[in-house]
Amino acid sequence: MGLRLASLAGAFLIWWLLSLAMPANLLPGPWVASVTLAKDFAQGDVLPHLAITLLRVTGGLALAMAIGVPLGILMGINHRAEKVLDIWVMVGLTVPSLCYAIICFILIGLNEAATIVAIGLTAAPSIAINLWEGVKTIDFKLVEMARIFEAGRTRILARVLLPQVMPYIMASVRMGLGIVWKIAVLVELIGRPNGVGFKLFYWYQLADMAQVLAWTLLFTLVMLVIELGILKQIEHRLFGWRPRVGL
Amino acid sequence: MNAAVEPAAIAIAGLNKRFGQLSVLRDLDLTIADREFVCILGPSGSGKSTLLNIISGLEGGYTGTVQLGATRVGYLFQEPRLLPWLTAEKNVDFALDSCAVPQSRRAELKDHYFDLAGLSAFRGFYPHELSGGMRQRVSLVRALCVEPGILLMDEPFGGLDELTARRLRIDLLRIWRESRKTIVFVTHNAYEASYLADRVVVMARGRIRDQIKVTVPRPRDYDDPAVFDVNRDVVRRFLAAADVAEPAVPESDPALNPPGGKP
Repeated sequence: MGLRLASLAGAFLIWWLLSLAMPANLLPGPWVASVTLAKDFAQGDVLPHLAITLLRVTGGLALAMAIGVPLGILMGINHRAEKVLDIWVMVGLTVPSLCYAIICFILIGLNEAATIVAIGLTAAPSIAINLWEGVKTIDFKLVEMARIFEAGRTRILARVLLPQVMPYIMASVRMGLGIVWKIAVLVELIGRPNGVGFKLFYWYQLADMAQVLAWTLLFTLVMLVIELGILKQIEHRLFGWRPRVGL
Repeated sequence: MNAAVEPAAIAIAGLNKRFGQLSVLRDLDLTIADREFVCILGPSGSGKSTLLNIISGLEGGYTGTVQLGATRVGYLFQEPRLLPWLTAEKNVDFALDSCAVPQSRRAELKDHYFDLAGLSAFRGFYPHELSGGMRQRVSLVRALCVEPGILLMDEPFGGLDELTARRLRIDLLRIWRESRKTIVFVTHNAYEASYLADRVVVMARGRIRDQIKVTVPRPRDYDDPAVFDVNRDVVRRFLAAADVAEPAVPESDPALNPPGGKP
């Protein structure tokens, strides 16, 4: 944790040094951005936009997992499904997220449903690929062992297979979250009247770099809280049994 | 063995098994008495593991009959096959849960077998915290705790260093004296077979080639010269059996005779 904090401080230091080298209106330093963010908070301008973005992120991630996890598992365990679907996943991965957003807004309308569908569809292929790889590492000798001990299908699924896939599901959540954040902001920029992406675009149009950086800072902080405060804790609880590997 | 007096633990008659075009077991007859310790000795590809998988029910699709005198079979694989995210004790619990062993008996069974295996102090350890030999011991505890009538073992000490394997063989006999299960133990190590077994069954290319009764009295000493004598006899007959030239498949069908035997 100490090392992590030092590393974070280093990033701020680099930002600050760069800001010294450039005109203040082009690249304000960390202090200016923080003060701007605090002022926005005080005016009550931050929370509503942050809340709606978080809602879209959560919805999009849930949809992406709902599509990507079964798809990846199916591709991992069934050769025919793998042959049929891998090209779909590759294509899905190649299509830029902007295209998903535009297509969804035109087909579904400028609403929350379209936003979440666009986010979910963009992130799903990466999640599918992650699980596809994960399922391939399943040790089926353990399944044989469970069968010897008269374990039924449900028990084998829940207590032998799921724990083996779980690390990949967790990795997918993290990776998915990273992708979903970025898409959410982009989708808000082109089609929503609120949210962090909308605000970023608004301040971009006014060329207010202090505000742009303030909102970027907000975004990063929230991301860190989720990553360290929630995901790391879940991971620690789930995979505490794993040996620590020193390199 | 007199089947009329004591019912057999395992009775196999006319067993044939093929993998595609490859004949793995041919016209195999084998009767194993209750509480007998039988070692099946054979080179790689002789069909001995397949035989074990058929007895256990993991492998189907054969012809012939396989009758078991017990409803529950324990199996010790070459690898420990422990669930890595569970402690030694939880791994045993997994088997107890799966086999629906009554709650009231569990504590006693676990105490007994963990103690017998010398693992009482390691019940809370994860597999990666244990040595290879200890992992295999946990696996043995797991197999015994569900109280199988028959214990099948497929080269369970094959992956261990010789010193550890030796200790485990000695302990296995000690545990067996107390629990007296029927054991079918597959190995390619003639000395291991000579030391452990009541009877050594020699297999080659899917058939039983020879059987040797081991009359060394129990409890046996691992370095007893008598075991060495048996070993010499077993090796001699093992080599003789492996050398038997044989038209494996009707010559009219060369496609059925792939070189090199079972993969």
